Parts: sequence; structure tokens; C-alpha cells
Amino acid sequence: MSDEHRESMFDYDARPITPQVVLVGRRVSSLGYELRDFLSRNGVPYEWVELDDEDRVRRVLDGDAVDPSRLPICVLPDGRRLAGATVEQVASGLGMVTAPLLAEYDITIIGAGPAGLAAGVYAASEGLRTVAFEAVAPGGQAGTTSMIENYLGFPQGISGSELATRATAQARRFGAELVLARRLVDIAHEDDGYRARLSDGAEVRTRSVLAASGVDWRRLEVDGLDELLGAGVYYGAGPSEAVSCRGCRVAIVGGGNSAGQAVVRFSRYASRVTLLVRGSTLNTSMSQYLVSKVSELDNVEVRTGTEVVGVEADTRLRAVVLSSRDEPGRTRLPLESLFVCIGGVPRTRGLAAKGLALDDAGFILTGSDVTASPGALDTWPLARAPLPLETNQPGLFAAGDVRSGSIKRCSAAIGEGSMAVSLVHHRLAELGAEL
Amino acid sequence: MTEGERGGPTEAAVAEFAGLASDKQIDAAASALERNGVASFVVDSGEDARSSVRSILPIGAEVFNNTSRTLEALGIAEDIERSGLYQPLRPRLYQMDREMQGRELRQLAAAPDFVVGSVHAVTEEGSLLIASASGSQLGPLVSGAGHVIFVIGGQKIVPDVGAGLRRIQEYCFPLEDRRAREAYGVPSGVNNVLIINRSIAHGRISALLVRESLGF
Repeated sequence: MSDEHRESMFDYDARPITPQVVLVGRRVSSLGYELRDFLSRNGVPYEWVELDDEDRVRRVLDGDAVDPSRLPICVLPDGRRLAGATVEQVASGLGMVTAPLLAEYDITIIGAGPAGLAAGVYAASEGLRTVAFEAVAPGGQAGTTSMIENYLGFPQGISGSELATRATAQARRFGAELVLARRLVDIAHEDDGYRARLSDGAEVRTRSVLAASGVDWRRLEVDGLDELLGAGVYYGAGPSEAVSCRGCRVAIVGGGNSAGQAVVRFSRYASRVTLLVRGSTLNTSMSQYLVSKVSELDNVEVRTGTEVVGVEADTRLRAVVLSSRDEPGRTRLPLESLFVCIGGVPRTRGLAAKGLALDDAGFILTGSDVTASPGALDTWPLARAPLPLETNQPGLFAAGDVRSGSIKRCSAAIGEGSMAVSLVHHRLAELGAEL
Repeated sequence: MTEGERGGPTEAAVAEFAGLASDKQIDAAASALERNGVASFVVDSGEDARSSVRSILPIGAEVFNNTSRTLEALGIAEDIERSGLYQPLRPRLYQMDREMQGRELRQLAAAPDFVVGSVHAVTEEGSLLIASASGSQLGPLVSGAGHVIFVIGGQKIVPDVGAGLRRIQEYCFPLEDRRAREAYGVPSGVNNVLIINRSIAHGRISALLVRESLGF
């Protein structure tokens, strides 16, 4: 079946939605990838015009000359153009960057992944003044998951993006504010609460904070890899790239559920998918349903005990060099795209500098782990010990992947986000500020 | 099919089906629709129709806007998709991964709270006729959607169902076929036709009849 027919069958009454944004650039570029990833994860319809397609470029830009050093060019719905556009500029140009409505909140949530969204829903539904700041897109890492099949209540599974869309609508319906495309820069004690400062200088006062900022992908330490970011090398599951991988050879690095989800997605598009796993088996790191699914896919090969040790490239990635524990020497795997889905580096920027107690890997300590950590309570001002999800700063909680000892699963993060709200109530009562 | 391949309806079809109905015919159609359980409103202009749609749709409602030249021309499609006042389903469906999320796509499109669309013909006896190539928009109109709002140009009024079917075949189809070939490079087809003679749940369907020619 041709793509065209596939499209017309599935597009409910055959009108592709008008793109809100047109991007002109080279697909092989890290900034281009960042923009496509941001727009697709936020559900903004966009059209990508490759610079070599001269006719389309001329049409989109009314024949104006293109400065190749300032790509991609973003054409906004009102006709404005941004050359060398960044995510923040595009988000702002689309009106996605809104200011917080209140000067003070009961709870400020950092990160709108599963933990942050769950906290948003419960806090707002219980009448707390709630704001959540999200730097990229609602849903976090789970939002890029192709199909979560073991999430309670969805017997046929639910995609990460759909779960995120529904949770966002639910949080907003209860009155939670969700402020996108802004990073937390700093958080400081003020009176009994905190003052949070964002990348654009905006500040809010808040009685409690929930750090639900999740994790970044761990960098793969291979010479030459970083220069190929966006040029065949991607961190994460790359939902925006799936269609352009049709018929291509793809490899995914990682042994966890994120890697498994990426394999399932890309196997639908790519001609061949190779999963490169450092460990000797998938069974210890991936949910069994995903292990089974991956093993049933005809165009997927799993190579355990294997690491990427080198890359071959011209203007873009052409092959990776592999080292295997079971085979002597090195092997070469020709491919078009490599997706790295390994581990997670806790996102604590803006939080860590304030004496927040972290574990050796940088994850935030909470509850009894704080109590057990030497020196972590030296500045703790209260007679009581920290509450279960509370850090070594009163009223500052952590939930989800960023928290030390958390179970790295979507449902666990949702549970922690919900639980954090009841602990926030405890803190507000302590401050005499409970509603 | 032959008319479409030649690029448009015949002169005879244009003469019969493109003209604006008289006020009397429009009022008659509106009364007949009311008798058949369809809440009907007559408005003077497309701009009035746009305001009426805004006043009917609750803020925050989940809304699916069917493909419609009428809705696009009046800015109603843009109101729904871009104003931020509603939860528009079309952009959400369009962003879905065709390979991985087919089931979610079908389910979401099947039962929106509100559908806003148009029809291809409305009869003076109070019947509504809608044709669809894929058929995907017809299920929600019959029963899937909670509420249906039709915005109908005054040139779409015909005496009876027979004339309505001819309007679809001889006038709308050649125009839609030409548009589909130009826009998507694929032909259209009168593959499914829905005729609504009566709505049992009064008020579930609203029809805004406009004293202007809108769409085709």
C-alpha cells in the first residue's frame, strides 16, 4: 500500500491538518532535530522542508535568499520568520510560553512527566494553588513511549503521548497551570516557603516544591559521537524521526524498557532494527512483555554483551563499530540512525546547589534515606524527621525518576506524584496554611 | 466520475444546485428540521454562523471539526483548532503515530463530545444528506458524537431526498474530486452516504442555516 493511501485511509476524512509551523533546513542537524522533537511532542503540526527542495523552499520563503549559516528557518502562522530558530524562540512565537497567573502557589511542580502530572491532578483537584513548569513537553520520558501495555486500566495498552495528553487535560481541567518551555534556574528559601526563578526571569513564591524533573539520557562515551547529534545519532526514542526511518537500518542502544519501546516503534518503519545491549541478557532490565514482543519481531536482532566503540561518518552517521564479549575483534554495523536510550542522569539543575542531599549518582535523597545520610540533616530546622518523599529541605519534595531509590516505571512515578500531594498537605498544615 | 475527471460539474448541475435558495425555502427547511428533531437556526451571514458556533460550544469541550470548505472559509476550523478555547481532536489525531496508535485514533475519532461539520444537501422536508469518501466522519454524526453542529450554506437546500442525492453525485462530487486530486493527489468517491430523516434525541443535532452560499 502506498503511503498516500495509508494516509487517506487513516486521516479521518482526508484533510491533513494545516501545519502551524513550516521549518526550512537540513534534516541532518541537531537544532533541526531538537525543534522537530519539541513540536511533535507538544502536538504542534509542522512541515519540514529540506533545503535541497528548491521549489518548495522558494514557495515557502517567497523567493527570498537563505543564509545557510542561520538554519533552520521557522515560518510562524502569522508569517514571521525566525532564522536559526531555537526551541525557546519557536515556543514563544507560537504563544506557548505563558506567564504564571499567580504570584504565590501552594505547590510548584518542577517537571510535567508522569510524577509531575499526577501531582498536578491531585493537588489541583484538592483545591491547592498549583503550577507546573516543564522545559520540553508534558509526559517526560514516558511521553515518548510507543505503547505502555502494563499500565492499570488500559487492557490494550496506551501510548505514552496519549497518556500525557489526557493527564495534561485533566490537570488543567482541575485548574492546575502548566507553564511550558521554561527551565527552573534557581530556587531559594523565603520565609516558610520558597521562591522559584525561571529561565526568562519570572519568579513565583510557593509554600512547597515538588521536584519531579526526571532524568536525561546518559551520554554514550564514544569518540566522534557528539558531533553526529541530529546527523544520525539521537538520544531518546525519537518519535519525530520514526516516519523518516521508513526502509532504513536503525540501531538502538540500551537494555531497559525505553530501549524496548523504541525497538517496537522503529520495527514498524525501519527495514532492520538492531538492539545493542551491554548486559548478557534483557531479562533483568526489561519488562517481560517487552522482551517477548521484541523477540517476536522478524526485522529485529538483539545483540547482548555488545558495546558501541566507534562510529563511521561523512556528513552523517554511516556505521557503528561494535565490540562483543563473545566474539574477538570488532564488527562493523552499517546503518542510517542510532538511537541511544541508556540509563538516566538525574535532572537537578537549579535544585542541587542549595544543599540538597543527593546520592552518589546525583539522585535526590528523601525520607529515611536523608535521615540515614551523614550530615544531610545538619541544617534541618524542624523537630520532626523528613516525611517519606521530603528532601533535607522542609517542604521540598521529590518524586519519580529523579528521586533516589525510585522504581523507574511510569506507574510508580504516578503513585509517588499522587502520594506527594498528601505530604504537601501535611506541610501546609504545619505552616498553618492549610485551606 | 467522468465529470470529475474533466474537472468540474456540468453547467446544468451548476444551474440547478449552486444558486442560493429563497428566504421562504430556507425558512421551510428550518421548520421541517425542527419537526424532525433537529434544533435549527437561521442566520444572515457566515460571520453570524461563526458566532453561533462559538456560543454553542462550551469552553473546554472536546471538539472534532470535519473536513469542510464551509468551516475553513468562515474561520470556524481555525477557532476550533487554534483558539485554545477547546480541546480540538483533529490536531491530536494528526499527531498520532499511524503505525502504533491506530486503535487510539479510531476510538478518539469515533466519539467526540462535539462534532462541527457541514452537509451536502438539506431538503425542504427536513432531511440532511452527507457523503463521505472514507466514511469515518459518518459514525459520530449518527450516534458516536454527543452533539453535532452543522453549518449549512443556503445554496444546499433541495426539494427532496432524490434531488439531494443528485446534488451530491452531480455537483458536490466533481468539485470534491477535483479538490482531492489537487490537494492530496488521490481521487474522492461517493462511497458512503448518510441520510438523517429524523433525530430522536431532540437538540442533539443543531443546524445553522445561513442565508449565504458557503462551501459546495
